Amino acid sequence: MTTMDNKKITQDTLLQGETDPLTSTPVHLLNLDKVGKHYGNIIALRDVTMAVDAGRVTCVLGDNGAGKSTLIKIIAGLHQHDEGTFTILGEDRKLSSPREALDSGIAAVYQDLAVVSLMPIWRNFFLGSELTTGVGPFKRLDVERMKQITKKELQDMGIDLRDVEQPIGQLSGGERQCVAIARAVHFGAKVLILDEPTAALGVKQSGVVLRYILQARDRGLGVIFITHNPHHAYPVGDRFLLLKRGKSIGYYNKKDITLEELTAQMAGGAELAELAHELEALGGHKDVVAEVEAEVEATESRRA
Amino acid sequence: MTMTATAPVTDERVGKKSTLSKILGRPEIGALVGAVALFIFFAAVAPVFLQPASIATVLYGASTIGIMAVGVSLLMIGGEFDLSTGVAVISSALMASLFSWYFSMNVWVGVALALVMSLGVGFINGWILIKTQLPSFIVTLATFLMLTGLNLGLTRAIGGSVSTPSISNMDGFDSAKAIFASSVNIAGVEVKITVFIWIAMVAVASWILLRTRVGNWIFASGGDSNAARAVGVPVVKTKIGLFMAVGFCAWVLGMHNLFAFATVQSGEGIGNEFLYIIAAVIGGCLLTGGYGSAIGGAIGAFIFGMANKGIVYAEWNPDWFKFFLGLMLLLATIVNLVVKRRAEQK
Amino acid sequence: MSHKLSWRKLAAAAVVVPALALTACSSSGGRTPEAANEGGGGAIASTERINVALITHAAPGDTFWDIVRKGAEEASAKDNVELQYLSDPEGGRQAQLVEQAIDQGVDGIAVTLAKPDALAGALKKAEDAGIPVVSLNAGEDRSAELGAITHFGSNEKLAGEAVGDRLATEGYKHPICVIQEQGHVGLENRCAGVKAKVPDTEVLYVQGTDMTQVESTVTAKLQATKAADVVIGLGAPFTLTILKSISGAGSDAKVASFDMNAELAQKIVDGEILFTVDQQPWLQGYGAVDALWLNKRGGFEIGGGQPVLTGPTIVDQKSAEQVLQFAEEGVR
Repeated sequence: MTTMDNKKITQDTLLQGETDPLTSTPVHLLNLDKVGKHYGNIIALRDVTMAVDAGRVTCVLGDNGAGKSTLIKIIAGLHQHDEGTFTILGEDRKLSSPREALDSGIAAVYQDLAVVSLMPIWRNFFLGSELTTGVGPFKRLDVERMKQITKKELQDMGIDLRDVEQPIGQLSGGERQCVAIARAVHFGAKVLILDEPTAALGVKQSGVVLRYILQARDRGLGVIFITHNPHHAYPVGDRFLLLKRGKSIGYYNKKDITLEELTAQMAGGAELAELAHELEALGGHKDVVAEVEAEVEATESRRA
Repeated sequence: MTMTATAPVTDERVGKKSTLSKILGRPEIGALVGAVALFIFFAAVAPVFLQPASIATVLYGASTIGIMAVGVSLLMIGGEFDLSTGVAVISSALMASLFSWYFSMNVWVGVALALVMSLGVGFINGWILIKTQLPSFIVTLATFLMLTGLNLGLTRAIGGSVSTPSISNMDGFDSAKAIFASSVNIAGVEVKITVFIWIAMVAVASWILLRTRVGNWIFASGGDSNAARAVGVPVVKTKIGLFMAVGFCAWVLGMHNLFAFATVQSGEGIGNEFLYIIAAVIGGCLLTGGYGSAIGGAIGAFIFGMANKGIVYAEWNPDWFKFFLGLMLLLATIVNLVVKRRAEQK
Repeated sequence: MSHKLSWRKLAAAAVVVPALALTACSSSGGRTPEAANEGGGGAIASTERINVALITHAAPGDTFWDIVRKGAEEASAKDNVELQYLSDPEGGRQAQLVEQAIDQGVDGIAVTLAKPDALAGALKKAEDAGIPVVSLNAGEDRSAELGAITHFGSNEKLAGEAVGDRLATEGYKHPICVIQEQGHVGLENRCAGVKAKVPDTEVLYVQGTDMTQVESTVTAKLQATKAADVVIGLGAPFTLTILKSISGAGSDAKVASFDMNAELAQKIVDGEILFTVDQQPWLQGYGAVDALWLNKRGGFEIGGGQPVLTGPTIVDQKSAEQVLQFAEEGVR
């Protein structure tokens, strides 16, 4: 039993008394094994292995073009993989539409696509899954109930809104993400995919969103948190998948990696060091080599 | 899970919204204020404007714009445009008239066939739009031109003239006229039936828009079709359905034209598509979609009716009418823009 | 899936409706089989076949021009002329049509001069190319100057004055002249002609492309102007719509008209419309083509440098009976 107050999020509080999450359930909620995808002769993704469990956060890290979006599209049912296996609760699946993914309990919250900004919050909350009352041609929206539920669900996530009738565009970026997350939770999502939820946000708003991620996790959801920022991923993540140019370059449990290592991997520290060696071997100018080496060090210390 | 909620996150910068500003946030408010102002204005300068019979005339003039504006408003909220509406009305009337006349059939057969055709034109508009991903401006501009040509060409080919032969002495004409083009006597004032059809259509459209799932989908499809698709809204069906709804409105108005005048000039209707769009825009529908109301479109049509007839009642030089129409459109669009900016404020 | 369903519905409707239709024939009205009246019937001229272009400023779908065209077609049939009919309401584009006809090397051009200045350049080219030109319908005052052999038409102002005279003698004081196209010179002239004879004439502008707006605007005018005792429509379809406005407004104003069609002739016979001024558009089309043929045949020039007037002819209840039959044929 943990109590979330406004304590600082640290690795220690998260992993207190935890065993290896991989062994806590007999089957994973989601499991990808050597999954690959190509568009024509362009390989967008290959050899990706990862797992998602209830009450755990799996972070997918990578720079632009690393294959993150291809990966989530496969999981969210927008694309299908060509190689490897994708299992949901141990069952081999290929999802053909977002609807099918939703029916399997996988909900995606996209950074830009989360909401229709001109529509009221409650309409957004129930968009596509509206509650109705009445029969036949008199079937109508159950407006009051939807407003109540919206208000309550948001309150449970820690957002108190006076007016769920206001256009969602008037909310802050973090709050909008929260509405989308609350919505997914309400509609019975077991797996929540968050696509760069912090990318467009400032420091404070990012903190708010990270807190919602933990709330969702503590409600027993499996969370896939996609980001390019290890500083956002490390505090909340339980597992980390690193992607580069469509390939997995590492898959770690939290106990096996430190923030520094994660950052170094992300920043391509090894690559830079390699470049320095190469330059030296080629007999390049000393000052250039020194510059690259300085850059390697600077990156690491800056990130640390 | 036994977690207590974290402290509520509120933004101290968001002030409390007063009831007044809530009312001011409605899409049709600008149009409503304009309509009231215009009404008072004409009532003051032309007392005859206030006669019940005059109001019935204004309402009739407004209804023939308003019936189409219902469909056009919904379509615009759904994020699309239709430039073929003006001629589609005439196409529908021509279809019913020429078919019945050529095969010497009960006019109701032509009426039914015209409905099928109008819905079909709407379906094709929507379907091409979805399949090609072209802007609706281009697709419906093409439909507009094709329908214009078909109207002229087929009418001459079938009827031998540019206007259809009169069908007033054919079977079913009287019953169809009773439904589409009769008048209802209310306390001594003859009110055209189109006024009631119009009001009924606005009511149904408002209900659909605000109180049904489909309405939610229309707003979402127009507001952000990608987001809507991502949460499972059937955007394709919604948009095609909207074009078909516009087709239905064109059919209703086309049947009125046919049974009110018994003949149809094949060159009519061109240019009216802009009046319908103007009514919808003055009524607060955003050109970019996702915002607006059916009532707004109705008020827009009413404003048009008032301005159009008010100038006659006031016995003014009509040379300036188009200028004021343009000015009104500009003002309405600016108001809408301000509203949208406010709604999107972060 | 949904598409298929919709298609199926459409297909079903396409099959079911005509099937229903077969059992739903109208007992009256509708098309009379083989009613089409191929005009002419007389012998065809033995002259060599020539090409004539008839280029008007007609807006698509205007009934009036149908009759002009029919007259031209009948003259072509008789005179062994290959007729090419073209039209564009915009002056510049009408001029382009004239130039195209010149490029094609036609043997004669019949053209309406609604916008004489726009056409002056093109007509000069025709003159230089030695192609005879006849003008019709509009522009009789500029016709000779622009090099046309002659002009077939009715003076709009005169026609208006004829209506005004007739109304004045019948004791009407307050006519409303309904113009269906704002800024149209010919229509303005008609109303000006009426006003010249009946000073209290008022002009009302309506949107001619929408009959429902025509009807409601005229109704509004009648409600506002109780003194109005006669309403003048400037085209047959508009006059017929004005009749509805009058009953809608509960007014007892009478109706007079310009131009003609079968239904209008019938209404005159029935006494619902006082009279109409016919400018005999069929004659304009016929005369223009025939004049070009005559010019080709023997270098004839009709009219002696003066316009040939095809109107105004007033058709009232007395003469309407006789005209009606021709109107049904689409000749009047």
